[in-house]
Amino acid sequence: MQQGERPQSQSQPETFLRVCQDCDLVQAVPKLRDNEAAHCLRCHSVLETRKKNSLNRSLALVLTGIILFILSNLFPLLSLKAQGIAYDGTLLSASIELYNRDRPWLALLVLFTTFIFPAISLLGTLFVLIVTKLHYQTPVTASLFRFLHSTEIWGMLEVFMLAILVAGVKLGDLADIIMGVSLYSFICLIIVLSFLSLSLNSNTIWHPDGHHP
Amino acid sequence: MTSIDRTFVRESASALTLGLIGCKHCHTVSRLPASLPITRKHHKNVLRCPCCQAHLQSRIPNSLSKTWALLLAAAFMYIPANILPIMNVTYLGTGQPDTIMQGIIHLIEGGMWPLALIVFVASIVIPFLKLLVMAGLLLSVHFRSHWRPIERKKLFHITEFVGRWSMVDIFVVAILVALVQFGNIASVDAGLGALSFAVVVVLTMFAAHTFDPRLIWDAMETDNTKNTENMENKDKSHG
Repeated sequence: MQQGERPQSQSQPETFLRVCQDCDLVQAVPKLRDNEAAHCLRCHSVLETRKKNSLNRSLALVLTGIILFILSNLFPLLSLKAQGIAYDGTLLSASIELYNRDRPWLALLVLFTTFIFPAISLLGTLFVLIVTKLHYQTPVTASLFRFLHSTEIWGMLEVFMLAILVAGVKLGDLADIIMGVSLYSFICLIIVLSFLSLSLNSNTIWHPDGHHP
Repeated sequence: MTSIDRTFVRESASALTLGLIGCKHCHTVSRLPASLPITRKHHKNVLRCPCCQAHLQSRIPNSLSKTWALLLAAAFMYIPANILPIMNVTYLGTGQPDTIMQGIIHLIEGGMWPLALIVFVASIVIPFLKLLVMAGLLLSVHFRSHWRPIERKKLFHITEFVGRWSMVDIFVVAILVALVQFGNIASVDAGLGALSFAVVVVLTMFAAHTFDPRLIWDAMETDNTKNTENMENKDKSHG
């Protein structure tokens, strides 16, 4: 493939070519201002967005997210008290217990979706954002960001939150449920993560200077 | 190259017919090299985006057959997922296996009908609808349907987004197994149904991943497809 060849007319520098990812339509998109989104003419899916101050906001949210993620793992999420004995359940104990009870595949799936993917996503995003902020991007950063982009759906912390709610109600009549310290940080983490996905814009990473190829 | 420029003037053609390709990660538009035939089949040479080095694909290779395979496997696993117990609750020495449906019935009996509704939607309705919707989309692409492409695309994205929430039942079992361990008094074990159900969720997520929504629109561009075929023939006659 010829490097950097752009089939773009030189007479109109204010528009650039975009290909819709959902319907493959080629169209010219004007240069966007902050908080604007360009939609496909044919199938209305989002072609391009620009978020205000995306880099700094995402950086702040990722740092908050990492702190909350550590807190969520340090202390129990739920404790069960029956006959005077309390059992603590942490984020990781779910997969560890499944492994101990001879369900290694389920344990692996739970471990990846509730711990490994969210952890990689947070740390990787922090790394990519810092590198972009310092204008020090390398091919490694690009492939890391592409990896994070494509494994996004496998981090399922918000689904786990719903599961905690369901499990709590199910156990409610069997024993006393005590909300752990980490539950509060876990709830905050999910809110922060949803704000992060709103503020993080892949354009900021690929074209940090606002320059569109 | 002249044919590419001529089609571009109409401004309503897909990138594939124009010999262009868009990167799904950084959105950079590149020109497909002339040496590679423009076809929907898999080609061995790997194209990389000049901006972010991502693997470029005009269409996901063999998208329909891959998605069918994953979907049929998921549909097959859907049967044990609903018949086998997802967990075994042992209380005072007597074991009681619980399937997904029995778990929901227990929630209703306990008066927790809003929660029962959530679990019912997440564990029974969503996986079933997902299988149906994906099969419908595949059939519509197979028969080159022109029916409501925008709605079909939306349906696909909803299916893709909603699928992960089916994992809630697996996580509930995982939490119960971790918390309920009172030796001989009460304990919870994950059943084989949980594993089958997890397989269904993972397979349908992969199926949504291998489905290429651009195929919905390819059927709409019948005249442009003819162009592609002409270009292919030209390539063949030149090479």
